[in-house]
Amino acid sequence: MDLISRERDRLLQRSARAYGLTFTAVSALCFALPGAVSFRVLLLGIPFYVLVVAAQVAIGLSRSIWWPLLALAGGNGIVLVVALLDAPPGPAAWLAILNLGAASLASVSLVLTTSPIRIALLTLGGIATVATVVVAEISSPAQALRSAGTVLVGWGLAALITVWISAGVPQVAKRIASIGRAHRAERQASELEAQRRQSARLLHDTVLASLTLLAHSGVGVKPDALRQQAAEDAKLLRQLRLGTVPIPQPAAGGTADGSPASNPNPDDTVLGTTLESVKQRFGRMGLKVSWHGTGQVLLPSDVLDAFLLALAECLENVRRHSGVTEAHVTITDDAKMVRALVTDAGVGFDITDIEATKLGFAESVVGRLREVGGNARLFSSPGSGTTVALEVPRA
Amino acid sequence: MNKDTITFSRPDENTLGVVVGNARRAMTTTARRLGRAASTHRASLGTAFLGLGAAIIVGLRAVYGAIWFASQWGAYPEPFAALAAWIVFAAVLTGAIVMSRVRSDRLPDWMFGLFLAGIVTAIALDVIAVWSLHDIGRYATAALTAGMALLVLVALRGSVEILTASAVLGVGLAVVIFLDAPLGAEASDSAWIATQITAIAGAVLPPVIGVIIIEGFRRMVQIELDRVLVQSTVSAPRFAVGMLASEELARLDLAAEELLDAVANKKTNLPLTPKNASVAAQLATELRLHLIEGRRETWLYHAISESEQLGKSVTLSDKSSLAGLLDATQRDGLLSAAWLLVADVPSAASRRRSTSRTLNLQIGPVLPGTPNVPEHKISIPVTMTSTGVRRNRVDSGVWDAIGRIGRYSDSTQDASLRVDIDCIVDNPADI
Repeated sequence: MDLISRERDRLLQRSARAYGLTFTAVSALCFALPGAVSFRVLLLGIPFYVLVVAAQVAIGLSRSIWWPLLALAGGNGIVLVVALLDAPPGPAAWLAILNLGAASLASVSLVLTTSPIRIALLTLGGIATVATVVVAEISSPAQALRSAGTVLVGWGLAALITVWISAGVPQVAKRIASIGRAHRAERQASELEAQRRQSARLLHDTVLASLTLLAHSGVGVKPDALRQQAAEDAKLLRQLRLGTVPIPQPAAGGTADGSPASNPNPDDTVLGTTLESVKQRFGRMGLKVSWHGTGQVLLPSDVLDAFLLALAECLENVRRHSGVTEAHVTITDDAKMVRALVTDAGVGFDITDIEATKLGFAESVVGRLREVGGNARLFSSPGSGTTVALEVPRA
Repeated sequence: MNKDTITFSRPDENTLGVVVGNARRAMTTTARRLGRAASTHRASLGTAFLGLGAAIIVGLRAVYGAIWFASQWGAYPEPFAALAAWIVFAAVLTGAIVMSRVRSDRLPDWMFGLFLAGIVTAIALDVIAVWSLHDIGRYATAALTAGMALLVLVALRGSVEILTASAVLGVGLAVVIFLDAPLGAEASDSAWIATQITAIAGAVLPPVIGVIIIEGFRRMVQIELDRVLVQSTVSAPRFAVGMLASEELARLDLAAEELLDAVANKKTNLPLTPKNASVAAQLATELRLHLIEGRRETWLYHAISESEQLGKSVTLSDKSSLAGLLDATQRDGLLSAAWLLVADVPSAASRRRSTSRTLNLQIGPVLPGTPNVPEHKISIPVTMTSTGVRRNRVDSGVWDAIGRIGRYSDSTQDASLRVDIDCIVDNPADI
């Protein structure tokens, strides 16, 4: 059974309980009025009322078909007790019977429409209730007829309510399903957009570098260089916002090697092109980067991204912490791996001092490289500079 | 933009919840925000149809009352007051039904006030008409039908308002009836009292029952919406960003763009003021966190944290993010089972005993050498531990749903149900 039908059943059960219990209370109140029924009928009737109340409470909690059956049995028991011992009923007893038969017992029809057996029980219950009410007032046929009519109207009303609620549920389920479909599309769109923005990693890398400079109030960098960098980054972000994934290019005089036209595989990008942009960026910030080794390495774009990000992160650390203004990057490659050694002749540090949780190295460098199957190692000691070895797989 | 000021409003929340431990809270706030935006829309979903049903019932009752009124015209001491009551009531009822058709969400306060005033007028006129008979419960017609008319507004006004209005009307009727009670022996007559009780009940109880039904219906709609919205995670990729993550990223990108633009265009002086510098630092940190940490969470994490129902009672431990490997059918099964185990029958009784249901989902770790695993597949152990539900009360739908995840075995221990599921998925190393 699908979940909304279950929820619908629960709704109907609870409604039946509220409907039944309130009118049982009204009926019991009329029944218990002094002089409404004789004392022995009162004594006999109370356990039946308790039975009806218990069954109606249980209807709210359980789907079992026995509870409505028990409620019907208890309610008809009350009417029969009056019919057998107190006929014809006085006006108060008559109202107690009507409240019971036409409203309290009719409430079970809310839980008796979901299967053929239940509908059969609903019909039988209605007929039985009408019959007992008629039996109780058989001495006055006109009144018996009126009571029977009232009970029938009560059962019809309860059945109408049930049908109405049941008809409302599929309608609302349909609308909820369409909301769900819209939501799924929205989630996919959100996912795609996040992916697009996140995959613009090179762009974000240079943006982050600029923001970091600004975070230090731009101290130590020539204002013009910083403004130029900011202008370029703002332009890239604008392009991203307008729907493309721009790749930062070397500002001017970039190498023509590895332009997309001569690139055999569009997914692969030549390392040299982007290395040059990294170099220029750090140059503007006051760190001279010297390249050594090959620049003509083709890498899948995600590997290249991770590699360059890790490299830039290492250079940023050199710029900030080493105390020198020059760093060396040596790129080597073999059949399987591409490696980079980032070395500086700065102050160095004790490796045991850097905390593993520090976002800098563990997350930005090691984490990114491992995502693409690479790794990083760090060598340093106070006073003798720092070397970082990065490696990524070629394929 | 003023010179030297950079507008970057600190976000209320960090959707990624990258600060470990705050993730859950952060995500549920997001989900709640999503929910709030749609809540006015949600509340009225489907209730207009129920409102129409209520109007039909009140209409039938009014026809019955009017016939009854016409049949005992001769018995009235003041028949024209009663007629006036019926005319006022008919006008109010027609207006209310028309308005409920026109605006299906909410009736304005002044209209509600007008409606109540009309009803009180009808009751007063009808009471005047039958006052000297000293048996309002038997002879009043418009007054009793008018009490029930609140049912028409059950979908258009808050439940508390309807209940309050109904209670006030009921008490008012009781007081009037008491004041009009015949002197002497008749007052203690059970027949007279029973008639009045039945009359008041007939006027007051229908709106009360209507409120209970409407509230249940709204709750059902909420639960179903919650479930359907979360269901969309079933088709999510292995690792996913939550809803609104892209929105956050876009917002950060835009803020960065504006800041950089301001620097580039010399709107902002260099070196930056400490305030602007800290804005830049914060922006950089958030952007970094969004970029690095964005997709470490699986669809299941998002499903649980975005759902009001699941978020309350499900805890997930999935250290290796293995949930991402489940295919759509398995995900659907897992979600349905969790849903049924948690949302099923939070009965009044169990709430009183404060034994709320909890569900713990443990996914992995993958154990090497599991037998009977086909080639290119791996077996992920999924353990569901549920408290507050007895083995024999578990819905059969739960077992169907669990069956869709994989072969399972269950055991009961200390009133908690434990299901071990052997979930066979594609081996990610082979892809």
